[in-house]
Amino acid sequence: MSPDQQVEHVTCLGCGCGCDDISITVRDGRIVDATPACPVGQAWFGDGSAPWEVRLAGKPVGLEDALTEAATLLTKSRGRVLVYLAPDITSQAQRAAVTLADILGAAVDSSTSDAAAGGLLAAQRRGRATATLGEIRNRGDVLLFWGVDPNRRYPRFLSRYALDPAGTQIPNGRAGRFVIAVNIGADKGLAEADLTITLEPSEEVAALSLMRAAVLDHPARDQSPGLTGAIGLIGRLTDARYAVLVHDAEPTDLPRNPLRVEGLIALTQALNGPTRAALSSLRGGGNLAGAESVLTWQTGYPFSVDYSRGYPRYAAGERGLDRLARGAFTAALVVGSSKLDREAAATLGDIPTIVIGPGASQAPFTTRVAIDTGTAGIHEAGTAYRMDEVPLSLRPPLTGQRTAVETLHQLIQAVRTRLPGEKT
Amino acid sequence: MSTRLRILGGTVHDPANGVDGEVRDICIEDGHIVADLPGGAPTLDARGMIVMAGGVDIHSHLASSSCNHARRLLPEERSADPAPAPALLDGAASSRSGTGGTVPTTFTSGYRYAGLGYTTVFDAAVAPVMARHSHAELEDTPCVDGGFFALMGNDEYLLRQVAAGEKERARDYAAWLLGATGAYAIKIVNPGGVEAWKSGQRNLSGIDDVLTAHGVTPRAILETLADSANQLQLPHPVHIHCNNLGLPGNVAVTLASMQAMAGRRAHFTHVQFHSYGGPGWSSGAAQVIEYVNSHPELSVDVGQVMFGPATTITADGPVEYLLHKSSGRKWVNIDIELETGCGIVPFQYKDKAAVSALQWAIGLELFLLSRDPWRVVLSTDHPNGGSFLSYPALIQLLMDRSVREERLKQVNPKLLAGSALADGLTREYTLNEVAIITRAGPARLLGLRQKGHLGTGADADVTVYARNADIAQMFATPRYVIKGGTLVVEEGQLRRAPTGRRLHVRPGYDDALLPDLKRYFDAHSTIAFENYPVQGIPDDPLPLRP
Repeated sequence: MSPDQQVEHVTCLGCGCGCDDISITVRDGRIVDATPACPVGQAWFGDGSAPWEVRLAGKPVGLEDALTEAATLLTKSRGRVLVYLAPDITSQAQRAAVTLADILGAAVDSSTSDAAAGGLLAAQRRGRATATLGEIRNRGDVLLFWGVDPNRRYPRFLSRYALDPAGTQIPNGRAGRFVIAVNIGADKGLAEADLTITLEPSEEVAALSLMRAAVLDHPARDQSPGLTGAIGLIGRLTDARYAVLVHDAEPTDLPRNPLRVEGLIALTQALNGPTRAALSSLRGGGNLAGAESVLTWQTGYPFSVDYSRGYPRYAAGERGLDRLARGAFTAALVVGSSKLDREAAATLGDIPTIVIGPGASQAPFTTRVAIDTGTAGIHEAGTAYRMDEVPLSLRPPLTGQRTAVETLHQLIQAVRTRLPGEKT
Repeated sequence: MSTRLRILGGTVHDPANGVDGEVRDICIEDGHIVADLPGGAPTLDARGMIVMAGGVDIHSHLASSSCNHARRLLPEERSADPAPAPALLDGAASSRSGTGGTVPTTFTSGYRYAGLGYTTVFDAAVAPVMARHSHAELEDTPCVDGGFFALMGNDEYLLRQVAAGEKERARDYAAWLLGATGAYAIKIVNPGGVEAWKSGQRNLSGIDDVLTAHGVTPRAILETLADSANQLQLPHPVHIHCNNLGLPGNVAVTLASMQAMAGRRAHFTHVQFHSYGGPGWSSGAAQVIEYVNSHPELSVDVGQVMFGPATTITADGPVEYLLHKSSGRKWVNIDIELETGCGIVPFQYKDKAAVSALQWAIGLELFLLSRDPWRVVLSTDHPNGGSFLSYPALIQLLMDRSVREERLKQVNPKLLAGSALADGLTREYTLNEVAIITRAGPARLLGLRQKGHLGTGADADVTVYARNADIAQMFATPRYVIKGGTLVVEEGQLRRAPTGRRLHVRPGYDDALLPDLKRYFDAHSTIAFENYPVQGIPDDPLPLRP
């Protein structure tokens, strides 16, 4: 047995918090401890074991054969390819995947289309007023949790950013912050709030609108008790030095009014008249914001991009998976984990699919080519983006057998040699 | 491709070497300019054409997280400007498509800069914590050598050192931050004013106003960082965006900031936005440029406004809030922990709008009243005053008085009473002066000894223009562009897209800084001190000033 190895300052991508203070203990090539990772983080790291297989039509093959088949299939399907970005890869791998999409005339989509599209589209209409997580910690003296209790899905959000820590302008930590929870029906705000109000789901959008109107000096009268309570919060918010509104940008099991996020954006922007305010949008695990960032600097659009005309077009109105179901594609390339939702898995099995990413060989659907790689931040170095779009450096505690980024660059080369008129 | 090339018989404008329109050959070997080449070297026939060094953009916004937020905000303008992949000689699959608009995607930015004959570009405002992002964008910006300036004028650690009078510690921190982020220069945006915006004071308006949260003044921030840059012998002095950008009467704070430099080297950026008389709107250009004319230690870039669409992107959060309120346009604000801010508002400069017309006139006055082109650089503060693609039209306004006067007749004259431009400025820039304000001057101010000229040993960045009576057309479509010895543009077409070099510095500092800085990070940063520095920055750091 070899002695334990300790890897410090590891970044956890279990949720979008991007905690980079994790100390990992490695014993015999396995992660045996991750401190102070939360339960979500523990699940993210696991013991770090992963399959390292390469399969063609389900059978083990050499990497070169797999890449040859993948390149042939993708080249043949040029213009009719879907590239799907899963979140557990580095931004370096995301860049390579978008490169492939460009040269293949492919459509690119990601889980953003399912989860966060509404918020991104609302921000494209209105803009937004936000802040990086450290500003919440340093300045937020009134925190409003709108239909979200971060303890469940973002366990260290409160201890690292929003509630407990002392900030440069909040020297007393929790005692220096006033906390409001707004429950939207069963969508509960933070349990340990100083003030809680409850709105019926049917009242939510009206409440956001009337709160904004009140900020803009148009106080409403004769409203229901719920709405009156919501409007009554405005004094607390405008008396803040720096108000922070927190909501969950990822879907939950509960139905949610799709207009919530636009209402929160508009309210937060308006609050910047009488005081300062920021909207914090909680995002899930992996490198979700990285995919949006890479797609934006390479195409101009954060999700749902179509290269089939030789340049990027925005296809925000229709998810890539829906187009796949309609028969728009003849091949698919999944980059990142194959542990997609059931719907994605069911749809992807219908056409020849290549998976390059963590656990590719264990995909819950039929794959033509499957190449296992490491997971960002566990086996692979590079960059991942926190939920607030701050880029983080990744220090992998383990070494894998192959990385997603190198495999994708090999695939790019293989595709290039097969395109007509190419000099390599 | 051969590593040798003789550019044959062009009319050379190389003001850094005293060459003003002489017919001569320019010889290139292994990416550099050489004195001569043996016979038989490949030639490029430039007879009858104009030869200059590649353009150098001292102040642009092209590769930053803020630019990326701006790109994302404006899907409407990019669907109107698709950018298919250029047909490069080494195959279509090596080039990349993208979208344009006022903030193009990275590959498209690189191609379009090269297509304009520019081969060196700096992003002028990068939040240090976002440096990793800018390096990634620059990696995806081909054809140009690139770098960025690190925002420090509202940095919490820096403000603490200023408040404590710890000038050496401030200097050491600036040096550490430049090296840790792979930046090229120190940038100040609205000194203290962004922190005032974030901490509830809203803004600072005079250089002796006190930032209450820290007890420091813009003057102290300006002095400290100007001294830091000069003592560290950085190739470029401190790069200053003054307080009160865009507000009537701001000429007072601009002049006060210049006076505060008291003999120190400093660069004041986009001074057009800082040259407004008051209390109403009027031109303060003459006062500003007269001060610059008589202070050889100062330099400026103009930040010309060009009529048409623009996107305002700045770390100056409070000014973007005001623009959002006055224009009614959509607005992004992002407060960035411990360091700076970010604001974005799309904007349209209209020739029939009185303020836009005044801004346009003020920019031209600054150019036309300047007496030393080496210290007055062409810029539009891309994309704040207009896209870099409007540089050729701007050059035409400077070189051709008749075009300028014709344009002046079409603009709203309401606020132009008393402006020097309206009174008639007869000056026309010469080709040599254009070569100075677009390459030789900015290269010298940036301390890039191998850029902006065509002397032996210079980087082989060369632009060849075919003469054209339409000056805007001539500068918009160079016939040939050579970047580091590679023929990038041939017969007006982009044919190769080499990766550019990263321009950054790594000045030394006293290690005694580090324990204190680590304590500060442990107490206040959400990123571990050990994870903060950017790893793997390509290319060696550039030398400091001797």
